[in-house]
Amino acid sequence: MRRAAALGPGLVALCAVLAVVAFLSVTLGSRDIGLSEVLHALRSWDDDGSISGTVTLELRVPRTLLGILVGAALGVAGVILQGVTRNPLADAGIMGINSGAAAFVVVAITVLGLRGVGVYVWFAFAGAIVALILVYAIASFGREGATPVKLALAGAAVTAGLASVTSGIVMTNVDALNELRFWQVGSLAGRYAPILTGVAPFLLLGLAASLGFGRALNGLALGEDVARGLGQHIGRTRVAAFAVVAVLAGAATAACGPIVFVGLVVPHLARFICGPDYRWILPYSMLLAPIVLLLADLLGRVAARPDEVQVGVVLGVVCAPAFVAIVRYARLSEV
Amino acid sequence: MRAWRQILAVAVLSAALAGCGSGTDGGGDNAAASAGPWTFTGGSGEVVKADKTPTRIIAHAGEAAALMSFGIKPVGIYADESVKTDPNLKNLDLSGIEILGEEWGKIDVEKAAALRPDLIVGDWWPAEKAHSGMEEGVDEKSKKLAELAPITGVSQGKSIVELAEGYESLAKSLGAKVDSPEIAANKKRFEDAVTAFKAAVAAKPGLSVAAMSPADDKVYVANPAYAPELLDLQSWGLDVLNPASPDPGFPYWENLSWENADKYQPDLILWDGRSYTPTANADWGRKQPTWFKIKAAKAGAAVAWPAFWLHTYGDFATEMGKLTDAVKAADPNVSS
Repeated sequence: MRRAAALGPGLVALCAVLAVVAFLSVTLGSRDIGLSEVLHALRSWDDDGSISGTVTLELRVPRTLLGILVGAALGVAGVILQGVTRNPLADAGIMGINSGAAAFVVVAITVLGLRGVGVYVWFAFAGAIVALILVYAIASFGREGATPVKLALAGAAVTAGLASVTSGIVMTNVDALNELRFWQVGSLAGRYAPILTGVAPFLLLGLAASLGFGRALNGLALGEDVARGLGQHIGRTRVAAFAVVAVLAGAATAACGPIVFVGLVVPHLARFICGPDYRWILPYSMLLAPIVLLLADLLGRVAARPDEVQVGVVLGVVCAPAFVAIVRYARLSEV
Repeated sequence: MRAWRQILAVAVLSAALAGCGSGTDGGGDNAAASAGPWTFTGGSGEVVKADKTPTRIIAHAGEAAALMSFGIKPVGIYADESVKTDPNLKNLDLSGIEILGEEWGKIDVEKAAALRPDLIVGDWWPAEKAHSGMEEGVDEKSKKLAELAPITGVSQGKSIVELAEGYESLAKSLGAKVDSPEIAANKKRFEDAVTAFKAAVAAKPGLSVAAMSPADDKVYVANPAYAPELLDLQSWGLDVLNPASPDPGFPYWENLSWENADKYQPDLILWDGRSYTPTANADWGRKQPTWFKIKAAKAGAAVAWPAFWLHTYGDFATEMGKLTDAVKAADPNVSS
């Protein structure tokens, strides 16, 4: 196939684009730092005490690395969820992950009286995983197991249930509302090395594991009966896929709050470029998603100097029209 | 069930509004109040009129404290936090006063109606064009408080001194004896505190300060134009920084990303008193890589700033004492 022949070099080109975007994300920002100062800091790799050095090495580098990992994780988690549930609207939000994470963060604030992004990470992670297990368990009831339709319904039900718990608490506790409001926008600001090193192992492991799902997702795309006929263990594939999504989306949401649209839009973008083969869609999403996330973050950082706009807000504003355009003008491949 | 509750609420409300005339007055009524028509011009410029001097007053936290400092005891108070921690109320005797709310934006209007108020007192916030308790974001249900009685208040404008004077004249119109020795003593204490503060500032030429509030995502720098106590400090000679580009939508602050935390280099940080603790500076230095790029923060030069709550001569005098000590201890060369 001609298309497949072009996809390999395309992947290399995307790597180069990601490298350029990452470089921009370190050199540009809400503070004006000369290129030579940034390069000096990067070369010496040692915080010399100057503000340029600190901003470059302790703020921008961890932020950029976190953006790459979180973006890739959200993109890939979106691909797997859309593939396994055969639902073109599936992303971390629809599977209860965001609402589970939010509910646990609220409990951390109100019941345990904890504060700060660094603490929320682990509660959000636990909440995301609990929510996903809950969704899967509910969908598994019955003879035919966790079918796509049951997964979608269970996801919606768990999301609604957890969201009502969260708003129930938040409505009676202004303090929790103020804390949650900041967390819930989704942001890369204020996340430094400890958070990066905390979630990076989970994200790297999940990303590596996710690349093995291409063949299984291709099979599922043909329908369950065909997949079974091809010798696939559908139940086992689903459990494994959900475990990987729990780690990826859970850790990503934990680190940055619920970031919208990346997990939803990027898989469609990748499918538009690659066609229906998940063995290409997965790596393409893994590179496209961080490019989108870092560009959106960069826009928010330079648009409102000396202030910043959270990446969650930028994504909502920029990505929604982009998604509409894709739906309207591009022929989307079926999931 | 639900309908029954509503009927009950309406019944209670109408009984309360009718007044019943059963002679259960007392409690918060102020004997000194004179009969006859009463008027007061609030901070919004609106003139409030009544056939007789109001005696059953519901007031917001700090406004209640101000009235109480002149001997006017409200029948109800709505606060923004627990009355045990509210800086205006925590040291006051609130027995006999109904607490109608202990959280920002939440007022129990049903309870308030049962008190049969004839005046509501809340500061006027010029930036938001609303009285305390009626701002944007407050529950619509809570805002119905304004339907129970006329609402007035002194403007959170350019000076706490004007605010205190405004409540003094409101209290006076409500029948308070504002020249009692206790009140005079508080005023004297305040005037002495101002004199001491001015002297301390004059002894530290070149000392610059900025009022700041660090948060997880940003650093906030207060805009004195919307913080009356900071304007007072400026008028007494302290060099309080005016941020260059306050947030147009919420001009109380200029927002700085953490990359720009060091945009301003004061010699002393006035730290938002609502989040200040003795270890806050060290904590934020550990948490945010750029906080200690503010030289004053690195040097530990920070003092609590009584942000947006002062209402009385007494409280202002106490806070001025702390600020005076901080100015005396400050090094005007930290930032250079």
